[in-house]
Amino acid sequence: MIYAGIDAGSRMIKAVLFDAVKKQIVASGIMDQGVRQDALAQQLFERLLLDHRLDRRAVLGIVATGYGRHTVSFADTVVTEITCHAAGVRHHLPGARTITDIGGQDSKLIRLDAKGAVQDFDMNDRCAAGTGCFLEVVARRLGLSLQELGEMAGRSVKPAAISSMCVVFAETEIVGLLAAGAMAEDIAAGVQAAIARRIASMAGRTLDSPIIFTGGVALVPGMRAALQTALGHPVVVAPEPQMTGALGAAILASRQ
Amino acid sequence: MRDAPRQITLEEWDARYAELSAAGMQEPTYGGPLRRHVGEGDLRLQNLRYDNSAASLRLWNFLLTEEDRLHQARAEGRKIVGAMKDLGTVPVMAYSLPGVAAFYPDGAWWLPCIMEDSTGMLPIADSLGIDESFCPVRAMLGAFVTGGHFPIPDLLTCSVGATCDDFSAIAQRLNSLGYPILWWEIPSRRHPEPDEMEIRLPGGFSAPETQVAFVRAELERIRRALEDLVGRRLTEDALSAGIRAANRVRRLLSQLRRLTYTAKICPLPALEMLVAEMLAIHFCSDRAEARVVLEQLLREVRERVQAQQGVLSKASARVFWVNPVADLRVMNLLEECGGRICGTDYLFCHVLDKIPENLSPMEALARIALADPMVGTAADRAERICRDILAFHAEALVISRIPGASHCATEGEVIRDFVHSRVGIPVIEIEVPPVSDSYRSTLRTRLEALVEAAKERRRT
Repeated sequence: MIYAGIDAGSRMIKAVLFDAVKKQIVASGIMDQGVRQDALAQQLFERLLLDHRLDRRAVLGIVATGYGRHTVSFADTVVTEITCHAAGVRHHLPGARTITDIGGQDSKLIRLDAKGAVQDFDMNDRCAAGTGCFLEVVARRLGLSLQELGEMAGRSVKPAAISSMCVVFAETEIVGLLAAGAMAEDIAAGVQAAIARRIASMAGRTLDSPIIFTGGVALVPGMRAALQTALGHPVVVAPEPQMTGALGAAILASRQ
Repeated sequence: MRDAPRQITLEEWDARYAELSAAGMQEPTYGGPLRRHVGEGDLRLQNLRYDNSAASLRLWNFLLTEEDRLHQARAEGRKIVGAMKDLGTVPVMAYSLPGVAAFYPDGAWWLPCIMEDSTGMLPIADSLGIDESFCPVRAMLGAFVTGGHFPIPDLLTCSVGATCDDFSAIAQRLNSLGYPILWWEIPSRRHPEPDEMEIRLPGGFSAPETQVAFVRAELERIRRALEDLVGRRLTEDALSAGIRAANRVRRLLSQLRRLTYTAKICPLPALEMLVAEMLAIHFCSDRAEARVVLEQLLREVRERVQAQQGVLSKASARVFWVNPVADLRVMNLLEECGGRICGTDYLFCHVLDKIPENLSPMEALARIALADPMVGTAADRAERICRDILAFHAEALVISRIPGASHCATEGEVIRDFVHSRVGIPVIEIEVPPVSDSYRSTLRTRLEALVEAAKERRRT
């Protein structure tokens, strides 16, 4: 009994095929998002089926999630990424109480109750500060890939102080720091700390552990440690963190 | 002509209006098809969905013709009082005098939404140094400068002190433009010290007797100004009669809220309920007609509840809403996302409380003014919100922020913590600008996720 979850994110589309009997992921895939969102999602879904020699009729239900969820015409229903991330995290780590999801264009902090249901959430989707976009801007400025930027941050001795309020201003700050001879390692670490502080400000005064880190930014070296420092709590990166939303969508498809 | 309750577009209202007219619908002088207001510049109406009852049509027409009523009052020689910032106290006093119409100039904050920024009022405010970092109520400055909306009042009052800083700044700028303002002070409501006499206020609050006496003295200054304006005394009897008349409106609203927010199937959409609740502040410039409008609406709701009919699915998530939205479209959006309103605190819930009738009228008015949620702590407000959430069985809470508004800048977290600890329902905060179209998908995600969370909790 296979179910599919499609996470049509702002930067990437992710798809997961989930076996509801064995409670395991059968296949997963990812591709860049584009203008023709529905066609791209369809292409990814069909590629997954083909690669795993599955017939379309074997998929009993499809849930779409993510920013572009309403564009996925072949989905049976849509569910928000907040609910899907909660379901995806619960599958891997049933005791989770807080989810921090940092994607390319937004970030979320989701609080779960003791039963694993969503208690409430905060989102940052009107400002690039606190999102993967911030890392991309800085990586581009320093001529590095995201992976290289993360590795470089790990070599920092004294992270630079960089504003967490605005990416545009932060970029100006970085130009100034470079002109003043600041080390690229320290700038990279400073940017990671700025993103993590932004997430911490969403968390407010109370935060329950365990805290699970999802989204593509969780794969960037150093981000987990930066988040841990800012939140003052241990942070666990979810298995395949960029797939959590799609996994949750597939699980929810199996329940509908 | 009765029709099954449902929400309809403006286009559908055209046909519905023709049907109702053909069936002999009785309309007041301000009646007519809803579409005519679009021709007068109320462009946002084209993007809203409305309740399809004749009672709701009358409500909308009453709301959207307020400027006409005020201009008519001026033409008839009646005195016009602009009661700024005060939500619901000075209008009760003003309507206790014959030949006076009172209104709320700050209500201009909805014009950038209703007219979709076509009025040019915000650029005027910008030019006066009151830019978008301030509350959208700054649109009021443009309305005064152009004179194109409401007539310039004969008397302008403004409460300051514990009300929001934005408004104080905006009103001071208005004052500097040559509009005289009678300022009156409302103190920050506090709990009495052990050696102070405690006065119980409507809404379950309390304050020291000294604060009540202070507000009473401030309101006496307003009373004298009103007497000077019309050249006659505002007697205790007239004030008492004015309070009783205001309470009749409040009672109607109280019944309407209870019926609508506790019904198994939502009998009236969020948007119409928001407009109805707004009538309590200054009666939309006609106290007697406000009562008639609400009576008709209440009859409609009662019939729908008895017939177990409504405008939304029975499965809709029951949502409590805090603070009014700057864009009316968002109330429709909540319903499109699977929610319904079950309880509100639009920052003026004290005007829904009965004004005490067993006290001297000025004492009663002072107590109701001090029960304003805006002049107490966020924790006080949260207490009342928790009580109402429980009373209306709400399953989720939305705290809506108004961009730039200083009165709700930081209260969200306090309210959220209170609601979590006392009631344990999901809470979100959203920010709604006057025209939120470009922000619609992110608002939709938040509201959909809240509804999903509320429904998930039903299952678990």
